[in-house]
Parts: sequence; C-alpha cells; structure tokens
Amino acid sequence: MGRYVLRRLLESAVTLILATIVVFLGIRALPGDPARTLAGEEGDNPAVIAAIRQSYGLDQPLPVQYVRYVQKAVTGDLGRSPRTGLPVAETIGHALPVTLQLAAFAMMVAILIGIGAGVIAAVRRRRPAEWGANAVALIGLSVPNFWFGQMVILGLAIAYPILPASGFVSIFENPVESFRHLLMPAVVLGSGLAAVIMRQTRSAMLDALTADYVRTARAKGLSGGQVIFGHALRNSLIVVITIVGLELGALISGAVVTEQLFVLPGFGKLTIDAVFTRDYPMIQGVVLVTASAYILINLAVDLLYSVIDPRIRVGGRAL
Amino acid sequence: MTTVPATIPVALSTRRRVARRVLRNPLAVLGLVVVCVAMLAALLADFVAPFASDQVNFAEPLRPPSGTHIFGTDSLGRDQFSRAIFGLRASVAVGLLSVVLSLAVGVPFGLLAGFYGWLDPLVSRFTDTLLAFPFLVLAVGLAAILGPSLFTAVIAIGIAQIPRVVRVTRGETLRLRHMDFVAAAVAGGANDFVLLRRHILPNAINALIVQATVAVPGAIIGEAVLSFLGLGVRPPIPSLGIMLADAQADVQDGPWMAVFPGVTIVILTLALNLLGDGLRDALDPRESRS
Repeated sequence: MGRYVLRRLLESAVTLILATIVVFLGIRALPGDPARTLAGEEGDNPAVIAAIRQSYGLDQPLPVQYVRYVQKAVTGDLGRSPRTGLPVAETIGHALPVTLQLAAFAMMVAILIGIGAGVIAAVRRRRPAEWGANAVALIGLSVPNFWFGQMVILGLAIAYPILPASGFVSIFENPVESFRHLLMPAVVLGSGLAAVIMRQTRSAMLDALTADYVRTARAKGLSGGQVIFGHALRNSLIVVITIVGLELGALISGAVVTEQLFVLPGFGKLTIDAVFTRDYPMIQGVVLVTASAYILINLAVDLLYSVIDPRIRVGGRAL
Repeated sequence: MTTVPATIPVALSTRRRVARRVLRNPLAVLGLVVVCVAMLAALLADFVAPFASDQVNFAEPLRPPSGTHIFGTDSLGRDQFSRAIFGLRASVAVGLLSVVLSLAVGVPFGLLAGFYGWLDPLVSRFTDTLLAFPFLVLAVGLAAILGPSLFTAVIAIGIAQIPRVVRVTRGETLRLRHMDFVAAAVAGGANDFVLLRRHILPNAINALIVQATVAVPGAIIGEAVLSFLGLGVRPPIPSLGIMLADAQADVQDGPWMAVFPGVTIVILTLALNLLGDGLRDALDPRESRS
C-alpha cells in the first residue's frame, strides 16, 4: 500500500512538472516577441511591453524564467490580465465556483440516470426495457452535447418558456433560482456521462448477477431487490468511481461548451473569451490550473480506488 | 522466404470472414450505407448540392424548410441543405486526418513502450502529460498558439487521441511479444525492427481498428464543437459546427437552422457507431454483446 501510494505520488509530481513546462513553453512557442504577445491588445504600447519584460524577467535565460514562473504560480501569482488589469488568479477564483456547482450538479444527474438505467438494462435482460436503455445510451453517445443543449433551449426556453435560457444564480444565494438556472445546463452536461456510466453499470451488473456470491445470496432466500441492490449493485459501484476519474476531462471540456451555450460566467466561458481577446496570461493561467487540478483529482481517484479494491495495489498498475 | 506467401491467403480469408460477419449484421450494414452516402456527398458536394455553399440570396432570408430549401435558409438566404453537404467535408476531413495523426504518433510510441520495458515509464509520463490537458483546454491552448483553423482542429483532436492509441498498441505489444511465433521469429534471426513491423504490428491491427471506430465519430463531434466555439474551422469554409453557431443568433426566428445541422451530425456519428459496433463484434467474437 505505502509503496503504491508513494509511486503514484512521484508519478503525479513528474507529470505536474512536465505539464508546467509545456504550459511555460507554449507561450514562448508563439512567433515574435513574447512580451508583445503577453501584452495582447496592448502590444503596441512600449510602456506595457517594458513593464511585462521586467515583471516576467524575459531578459533572463529560459530555465531561470521557468523557475521564477513556477515560484510565482505556487504562491498563487499567475500574472495580470492585460485586458482587465486584474490578477489572473483572482479572476479564475471568481469563475471557479460557477463551474464547480455546474459540474457537481451534472455529476449527480449523470450518476442518478446512468446507474438507474444501467441496473434496469441488466435486470430486465432481453426485454424492451433493456433495448430502450441501450438505444438511449447509443444516442447519448452520438449526440454532441452542445447540440443537445441547443435543442433543450429551443424546447424549454423558447417554444415553452419554462426555464431561463441563460444566466447564473449561486446555490448559496437563492437555491430555488439556482436550481432553475442550472437544471438545463446540468442535464446537458451530465447526459454524455450518464450514457457512459449506464453502459459500464450494465456490464458490471451482468457480470455480478451471474457470480457465485449472488447465487449464494439468492439461495439464502434474499429477495430480488436485496440481491440486486445489496449485493450486485454494491460491487458494481466501483465502476462509477473509475468512470468519474476517466471522464473528468470530458466533464471539464463539456463544461466549457455548456457554459458558452448557457452564458454561465464560469471557467469555460473565461477560457474561450480569453482566446478571442488574445489574453495570453489568462489562457496560460487557465490551462495551468486545469491541468494541475486534473492531475491531482486523478491521483485522488486512483488512491481511493486502491483503497476500495485491494487487487489494484497488489497487482500493480491498473490498465 | 517461403513463409511470406503462406501467410497472405490466411490474412485474406480472415478479412473476408470479418466482412461477411459485418454484412450479416443489419444495423452495421445500415451504418455502412449511411457512412458511404455521407462520404460520397462530401466528395461530390459540388455536383450533389442544389446551391453553392456561399450563395447569398437576400430575397429569401430565414425561410422555413420547403421543397426548394429542404433544410430552410439562414439570415443571408443561404440554402442550409447545400451548406450541410459542404460542411460534411470538414467533418470527414478532420475525422480522418486527426485519427491518422494519432495513429502516426501513437503506434510507434506504443510499440516501443510495449517492447522495450525501460522505455515504458518514459512513454507513460509522455502520455500522462498529454492526458493532463482535457481536450478542450488543449484545443484552447493550441488555438491561442496556432490560431483557429481546420489544421488546429486536426492537431488538437489528434493529440487528444494519442494516449488511447499508445495504450492500445502497448497492451497488444505486451500480449504478443511473449507469443510462440514471435519467439520463432527471433530464433529465425529477425531483428527488433522486423519483429515489430512484420510480426507484432500486423497482429495488433484489429485492436487498432476497433480503437479507430470509436475515434472517428468522436473526432467528427470534436470538429463540430471546436468550430461551434470558433476554435476550429473558420468561415467561409462551411462546417456543421459553424452552422450551429450561426443558428444561435437566429434561434427565435429560424429554429430549423439549429435543428438540421445537428441532425446531420447525429445521423453520421450514429451510423459510424453502429458500423463500429458491428466491426468490433466481427473482429472479436468473444466481446460480442449479445
């Protein structure tokens, strides 16, 4: 156990360092003067260029610049956006709660629908319920979520205006309005994940339902519900943790699109806006924060996984 | 040298058996037909489409679907059906090119990582680093560096798929390198390059085909997403994603603009997924989902 944790920690640290190098070099891969690039739309202002060159230490050799960059990033200094004049870290800090609330809500939707449909499809084998669940999952995988979002807006905000098409209300300010504003985005974001979870739950349940311990449980005289939920589903749940880890990147990507579609002032919208305004410090900051968070969450999922399933840490690397 | 002709008929008959299995699966055939029609339409768009993709007609703005404009027209009076057909070009081009890119980079790395144990940790760190950037975040970074274009979309989607290709190839290589026929080839004096190129890679092809059947529809959706966000294909090149982005502005007056390009994408990816499922079942009967 200790050795496995240590190895995963080391691996994650190496990946994190490599990722910061990629982000650091990315901005320098741009043609032309990096100071001018970092200045964005202020690129013709010599005072801004000089200030950037000095604050970024662009006259120093690359490795020195890199170390300085990491030192600053670790202390939460990601530079300043030349567009807004505000610190990048502060802007990200404002946008993050929006994305986190959206992602948490979407995850709940995905888990509820995915596990529910997966269990039904496995228990009602070779019956219309299974075909229905399978068809929905296949369509869920084939429908791009941004288009699904457009259709939902068309239906529930324009044709039958039940829910607001855009905007964000924090759950801590007004839970009811927050729910109304986030319901559509969360369903849209969660739908793709739900399809993946459904497929995995179904196959894990099918395996479990034919396993010996389930037959034993049945032989002991437990009811169908007790066997399905107490035994088979419980052992299938490990799948969900794995999927959440594997699909986290898809969830982050999906959040970018969903926020753009529903005009939510979150992380994703910040990212896209930064590209169009050529706000390079902001892009650099956003990419760095996302990559670091992603690496750390994956590490957490892996460690959690090894706690739940001892085979992982004994058998070595899970594929 | 007599072994070489001996292996070819075997490969051919396997291929024929796979083709026969796919053709016996009605859903896969349906997928195949739709995919072929879409590819032909994209290729022959100049002849198939009733209007040019950029033909503006201010006399007929925002017309709902009708006999002449079966997908309706947009705010500039452009025929949406013609634009969708031309848009398929971008979908097919990005779908294929990005998968080719991911295979070109991923397969060599996967073979090396699986074959030379000491390279494995290095390649793992490389793929982990790629995996640290979620697809759209990677695309955003690349679009910032390269500028949004079809080329950027291909690179972003291709790079995002590399880790999966590496993992599949590595797994297959690990499985195959201890097989008897590889040992026999070593005994026959084959060097590492010959082993990888002639003995391991051809046997890993099936797994890679299965991987590609998942990757192509994913890449087509990826192109639509990137173009929708303005990070991929740029106007005047028609793309289904751009059509959907244009539809955002006129969602009140021309809801059909948002419906048909999306339906086109869904039908194409659904067909690819059906074909892919059929191919998977045909290539690997053990994994059959029935």
